[in-house]
Amino acid sequence: MNLVATLGASALLTALAASLFAVGAAVAGQRLARPALIEAARRAIVVTAALTTLAIGVVGYALLTDDFSIAHVVAVSSRDMLPHMKWAALYSGQPGSLLFWTWLLSLMLAAFALLTVPRIPWGAAHATAASGAILAAFLVPAVFLASPFDISPVTPEDGTGLNPLLVDPAMLVHPPFMLAGLVSTAVPFALGAAALLSGRIDGRWIRAVRPWALWSWLLLSVGNILGAWWAYTTLGWGGFWGWDPVENSAILPLLPMTAFVHSLMVQERRGMLKLWNLALVFAAFALAVFGTFNVRSGLVTSVHAFALSDVGPYFLAVLSITLGVSVVLLGWRSGRLRADHDFESMASRESSLIVNNYLFTILALVILGATLFPVFSELVRDVRITVTAPFYNDVVGPLVIVLLVLIAVGTVLPWRRAASATLVRRFRVPLGVLAGSAALLAALGMRDGFALAAVAASITLAYVTLREFVIGARGRRAAGGQSWPAALLALFERDRRRYGGYLVHLGLAVMAVAVVSATVYQSQARGILAPGESFEVGGYTLAFEGLRERAGTANGIETEVLAAVTVLRGGEAVGTLEPGRRFFRNFPEQPMAMVDVDTGWREDLYVFLQGWDADGVAEINAFVNPLMAWLWIGSGIYVLGGIVVFAPQPARERVPAPAVPPSGATTEA
Amino acid sequence: MPAAVRLALIAGAAVTVAVAGVWASGNLGATAGPVGAQDFEAQALQIEQQLMCPRCINVRLDHCELTICEDMRAEIRDQLAAGRSGDDILLFFSDRFGDAVLAELPREGFNLWLFGWVGGSILFVVAIGATALWRMRRGAALVPAGAGGALDASEERWLDEQIRAREGRE
Repeated sequence: MNLVATLGASALLTALAASLFAVGAAVAGQRLARPALIEAARRAIVVTAALTTLAIGVVGYALLTDDFSIAHVVAVSSRDMLPHMKWAALYSGQPGSLLFWTWLLSLMLAAFALLTVPRIPWGAAHATAASGAILAAFLVPAVFLASPFDISPVTPEDGTGLNPLLVDPAMLVHPPFMLAGLVSTAVPFALGAAALLSGRIDGRWIRAVRPWALWSWLLLSVGNILGAWWAYTTLGWGGFWGWDPVENSAILPLLPMTAFVHSLMVQERRGMLKLWNLALVFAAFALAVFGTFNVRSGLVTSVHAFALSDVGPYFLAVLSITLGVSVVLLGWRSGRLRADHDFESMASRESSLIVNNYLFTILALVILGATLFPVFSELVRDVRITVTAPFYNDVVGPLVIVLLVLIAVGTVLPWRRAASATLVRRFRVPLGVLAGSAALLAALGMRDGFALAAVAASITLAYVTLREFVIGARGRRAAGGQSWPAALLALFERDRRRYGGYLVHLGLAVMAVAVVSATVYQSQARGILAPGESFEVGGYTLAFEGLRERAGTANGIETEVLAAVTVLRGGEAVGTLEPGRRFFRNFPEQPMAMVDVDTGWREDLYVFLQGWDADGVAEINAFVNPLMAWLWIGSGIYVLGGIVVFAPQPARERVPAPAVPPSGATTEA
Repeated sequence: MPAAVRLALIAGAAVTVAVAGVWASGNLGATAGPVGAQDFEAQALQIEQQLMCPRCINVRLDHCELTICEDMRAEIRDQLAAGRSGDDILLFFSDRFGDAVLAELPREGFNLWLFGWVGGSILFVVAIGATALWRMRRGAALVPAGAGGALDASEERWLDEQIRAREGRE
């Protein structure tokens, strides 16, 4: 008997039992009005997390000690793997990723049980039961369908090693963030379900859900950004977002979550959109489950792979139940979801937030439909097709331009209502900036209509956002006589949500410019070259010097072939690059690109070794991506803004009520 | 906002845009693909970019490393050298491997459903959304009309500032 595997499997099985106990105890405690039972259920969630942590600890131990009697360790690890790479092995393969996902889920729900559940007496039982049910739903496949503790029929001398795709530094951070983002949607879902089940659908659930929704939105954002960075630096196609079914699965839950962190403000301030807000958190969780199902089940490969998968049908059932429960709950309580207030004006910030929500809904529907369309095509007429980047760029691109413009409009509009004279005054300059920047870009030679519109919209968004900072800081200066930097800092101290949010918008504007620039104005060239020959791409001359080979030392790498390339600009050598190809001992069919990038403020030179022949003639692919670095700079601003929004607001100073109006103007209390 | 500050803001924005534009304009005129002796290679690359690897998920032919893709790239060059057009070559591969190798989804037949889905999604959300907005707006007609139109310009400005100041505090 393998003690290690037995310990891990027992921990998982006990965790499943604890999660089921939490459901039962919470339901019974509520029915019988026994608070002790509800408290026991809450603690059972924490116990589930502890047991799942023990299970993942056991997997980690087995990986570190090269315990090849366990099938999962054989499949994802090998003796020469460096310890930090074994962290990546923890979440690779079906059983590993499933357990890792469940572990993060249990941590998230335990934190929820410890931090939030004690503060929501109105829905503690319901939230705990929902948490337990979600945990059980993910523990079942980890215990019965794809256990990481299954014993290998034979104990080999060495393991197969990590999937080559994962042997990369970016893979040490991207999957944990991505998976954490996906599972974090479970907390808003559990809270929403608790609000509906308990019938307390007022401001309280919104106050409780806000930090969790922001947390989830932040994790999903970081996960997607790191994914783009990984794709850019390892995949060797010169791009950062390929509209791959897996990428789509990752970005889909982010869309309703982003919509939600905006529309919850409308409910907080105006008591509107109650039903809609619940629908958004349910959609985010359902899409996160869909993503897991989509990736784990083999559905993206083909319908036939799905039929062969163990966990595919199971997750399809989980997804159906999630959707069914959401619809039933919403339908059941819809009568109680009346708004407290009505709209006062279409020209208000709340209306622009609602319209932005519509746009996120359209984006989610379009991306979901296009991701599933190949499946329908195969099911309906048995023809395989691919829906690829050009389609998405054509459809999503214009929608994103509209989104950028709407964010700018929303920034300019005040809450509740604005008189037409005010509107004219507020919009005059931004409209001027929009028209002016478009005219200027056209005059500078920008001919692509899409790029022109997107960049002009981004500039306008950046302008109105920066203007808010200036207006706010000027107010502080007028009030307290502070210096500009101190006044700007004080803005963040005083209202993190508002100014952090503006920072996110600013980051988005910078990212949009970089995305458009690096997509529309990308240059690509390929050279098939003997040593000493050169080719040109986007103003650079790339001279191929020759190939060299070096033996791998760890992580299952057998050998690396590197091409020395001298980069010349205007006849002068400006640097050397060394793209290559990495071969893995146990994955001969799956060599990985070793991309080399010369990053600059203005553009990236991205070089990739495509192949070579016996005579040393190499095939080199090169891209010039204008303004590419700004995608990462914009991402940094975006994430920084997200952290500012998420950080707890220090206790607020009381501000005296405004002076009496100059004449008989009435303001609503 | 004082006129001078507004002017300064506009000027600042214009200068920023101009500087950024001039700085980036080196890239604006760029067209994908090289010139001269690389013409043939560029032509082949353009065709590769319109094809997908038949064995992978979402991997474009021009950066796929599988042997089958190397063979396909060689085939493209042979056919180009033999004088066949890009469209002929695309047809050749889609006959052989099916529509899944085409990077650009053919806009015909069953595939039109996808475009219908996109259009339908937009129409659906806009229709439902407009109805919802209208219903939420309806009650607002009951709000006394005095608050908006009856103010003169200075009152309007004062109110605006108060609301802004209040937003700043919230």
